[in-house]
Amino acid sequence: MLNANEAYNCGRCGLCLTTCPVYRQEFDETVSPRSKVQLARLVAEGRLAQSPQLMEVFSMCINCGNCTAACPAGVLHGPLFMRLRSLLGDQFGHSWTMRLLFHLLTHEQQLLLSARIARFGRNVIFEKLAADLMIGTIKLKNTPHMNREPFRAQMPPVINPEGAVKGTIVYFVGCATNLTFGSIGWAVVQVLTTMGFRVVVPKDQVCCALPLIMHGALEKARENILTNIRVLGDPDSTAIIVDCATCGSALRKEYKQALGELGHATRAAESLARKVFDISEFVYQHFDLIAPYLINTPEQPETVTYHSPCHLRNAQGIKGIVEQMLSRLPGVKYVPSKDSESCCGAGGSFCLEHPDITKAIAGEKIRNAKATGASFWATGCPGCNLNLSANLEAADEIRVVHPIQVVARLLRKDQ
Amino acid sequence: MISNKTLSKLRKVLDPGRIKTDAISRSAHSFDGYVVEGVPDAVVFPTKTEEVSKIMEIASMDRVPVTARGAGTNLSGGSIPLKGGLVLCLTQMNKIVEIAPADRYAIVEPGVVNADLQQALSPLNFFFPPDPSSYSVSTIGGNIAEDAGGPRCLKYGVTHDYILGLEVVLSSGKIIRLGSRNVKDVTGYRPAGLFCGSEGTLGIVTEATLKIVPMPKARRTAMICYADLDDTAKTVVSVIGVGIIPAAMELMDNTVINLIEDAMQIGLPRDVEGILLVDVDGAEESVDKELAQIVEFARANNAKEIKVANTSAESDALWKGRRSVYGVLNRLSPTTIVEDATVPVSKIPAMIRGCRGIAHKHSITLSILGHAGDGNLHPCINTDTRDKSEAHRVEEAIKEIFQLAIDLGGCLSGEHGIGLAKSPFLPMGMDTDSREFLSIIKKAIDPCNILNPGKFA
Ligand SMILES: Cc1cc2nc3c(=O)[nH]c(=O)nc-3n(C[C@H](O)[C@H](O)[C@H](O)COP(=O)(O)OP(=O)(O)OC[C@H]3O[C@@H](n4cnc5c(N)ncnc54)[C@H](O)[C@@H]3O)c2cc1C
Repeated sequence: MLNANEAYNCGRCGLCLTTCPVYRQEFDETVSPRSKVQLARLVAEGRLAQSPQLMEVFSMCINCGNCTAACPAGVLHGPLFMRLRSLLGDQFGHSWTMRLLFHLLTHEQQLLLSARIARFGRNVIFEKLAADLMIGTIKLKNTPHMNREPFRAQMPPVINPEGAVKGTIVYFVGCATNLTFGSIGWAVVQVLTTMGFRVVVPKDQVCCALPLIMHGALEKARENILTNIRVLGDPDSTAIIVDCATCGSALRKEYKQALGELGHATRAAESLARKVFDISEFVYQHFDLIAPYLINTPEQPETVTYHSPCHLRNAQGIKGIVEQMLSRLPGVKYVPSKDSESCCGAGGSFCLEHPDITKAIAGEKIRNAKATGASFWATGCPGCNLNLSANLEAADEIRVVHPIQVVARLLRKDQ
Repeated sequence: MISNKTLSKLRKVLDPGRIKTDAISRSAHSFDGYVVEGVPDAVVFPTKTEEVSKIMEIASMDRVPVTARGAGTNLSGGSIPLKGGLVLCLTQMNKIVEIAPADRYAIVEPGVVNADLQQALSPLNFFFPPDPSSYSVSTIGGNIAEDAGGPRCLKYGVTHDYILGLEVVLSSGKIIRLGSRNVKDVTGYRPAGLFCGSEGTLGIVTEATLKIVPMPKARRTAMICYADLDDTAKTVVSVIGVGIIPAAMELMDNTVINLIEDAMQIGLPRDVEGILLVDVDGAEESVDKELAQIVEFARANNAKEIKVANTSAESDALWKGRRSVYGVLNRLSPTTIVEDATVPVSKIPAMIRGCRGIAHKHSITLSILGHAGDGNLHPCINTDTRDKSEAHRVEEAIKEIFQLAIDLGGCLSGEHGIGLAKSPFLPMGMDTDSREFLSIIKKAIDPCNILNPGKFA
């Protein structure tokens, strides 16, 4: 039986349709959050059959959380949708791509191996043969190269700053930084050590498992969650830092929810959550520690705009903070894009399952970002980063970067 | 049930992908902002007037009921397909066809979201005055069919004041065009008079030519708090009585204030009995003068605390709670019934006192908010329909609220429409001959009664 308690709080006002990126693309109530809440209720009441088509409807969700943020009645869409996806997934099976993804994300060694194979494919075969190949609507040549070595393997277990140690940071390196965006990892370490922190990268950390949690594959996610809680929970650390909005939302919010659903105690997840900070948020909060090391205003200020990842804004409540951090950087002219807070349409596997919707949403974002005249487009989420950069045209001069890379670029060279 | 024959005819005039007969799509179009549900036999998504016309032609030949639907946010069950048949969803006819600032009109398809039109007008320094609190999601077609109003309609008037011309598909499939692009035009009956508030019972609006208005140069907002609810109403009466027409005057009572605070923590004072939210707009010099006068009246009527916003961001902050109030009420109980009985402004104190008396008598939870400036109150009842004895008391209370409004010279609904919610009460507000006049019009225009049957009658 499905527990659809959340649905009974829905007053059907429809305000969630306003900012739902999927509804705003489709203009069909069937895929709106309000409808999904009602459909879940009908399933729970035995008035609507469970079916593969229903699974398809529930796949039309980017998990951006805009609906929950807009809902004045406080409906929690996430757990309700997750439970329904889980029910339907158990019954009708997940697609082979999802099954493969689940398997890899829960088996660290095989994940690393497949990354190695992918790196070979990407760098050797593909460069020569398939310059115009597409996956869905994503141009392959716009995707980043894989890291030569996984980032975590390149890291010593402890990196000390020069001079006095202000505290110890446990760095949770998500899969994206570990396998693909190594340069973001270096920027994080560089900025944190410059600020005076010792950085520790626990070797046994594993994938945050958020994709599994979102698809309702909670049983599969269990081991990853418990492992991470164990290896990250250093009682002497100042903070646990993440550079990925999605991992951050898992550690700060979803672990507690998922463990609760699985019938585990949630206290450890809660105390972990209190210590987790996003890197941009952390720099903002301790700006005085980095300010002395930034180069003074260069002659040509760099124009930077921002895309606010949903998993940062909705799931972690980080709203307006990264923008302020960027504005405070000397040598940066921050120009907001008019839809900086709307979803980019990526949503993990959503962009593979519904590429046309993603492409339409990303296209609009790109138009607005380019209109700011910025040369850098900062966003602290690898999913958004990949999606936005993949949909840029070769002639577009704007480059997608992590906000921490913007900070790192401005560090004085004598550092 | 819709026959296969009808469906195959529909497939000839509409891309089959735009005709949904699966249980999921049908369930998804079985509800709106009201409490009743009704499942259609099929949902169709036309993209142009000609398609709507062909759909109606088929529907009238085969006698299939057709219920138009915009965003499905109405609060009276207007878009519920009570008799099954087709739900005709206009959300994908959502192009802004033309904006002509110099000629002061905009032409839109019916599915255009009110807020999207505002966003397109704003860089041109124009706006479309009707601003239902659902403006971020409700459609122009739905606004027209419900004759929607909103906070600033106190000064600017409601949707029917902004209709220059309409293109409408009749039940037969004929396409008619009434009105024009001219602000002045007296050729024929006014389209707004017929179709605004018709709730999809007379025809399907497929295009609207709307009057647009230059944006006022300045806007100020004041939030005025009172220890006695009656004093809010007295302030409204004295302000409007001397000839000041603010853009909006919104009222929230203590229950509403606390619910908003619980949900959103925006710093409203929890201990006051009533808040008036007042907007004035116009020229830079006049807004400050008007606001000062209003503040004076508020003080004279025992206002406890007055907050004035000087920037538009501060104004938006003061409005934030009011904008979200319907959803917030849903936190209180499984069902929220929002009434919108309306009375002449001078009768507001009597109306508020009367509503409270009725709530007390039937021991039900009732809070009051509303567009106080034009007498359009929203007594909101929080209830659980599963509790049969309470359901009965609620029913009785609603009846008494309507009677009270009528006795005070008011009407059943100021803006939410009759739909399913108020059909049974129509005789209270309209005598037999007047109701017959409505049904003569309906019969003449929709002889087979296929347009939104079961509503408004
Ligand atoms: C949170 C909230 C706040 C609200 N605030 C206000 C407010 O301040 N003021 C106010 O007036 N209302 C308000 N409403 C009610 C509602 O939003 C309005 O009635 C709105 O105009 C409905 O628009 P819609 O697109 O949702 O239409 P729907 O609900 O889809 O339809 C409404 C009616 O119009 C008919 N219809 C729709 N499109 C067409 C068309 N193209 N041709 C013919 N008939 C059509 C339908 O058959 C139905 O009878 C509020 C509702 C909510 C949920």
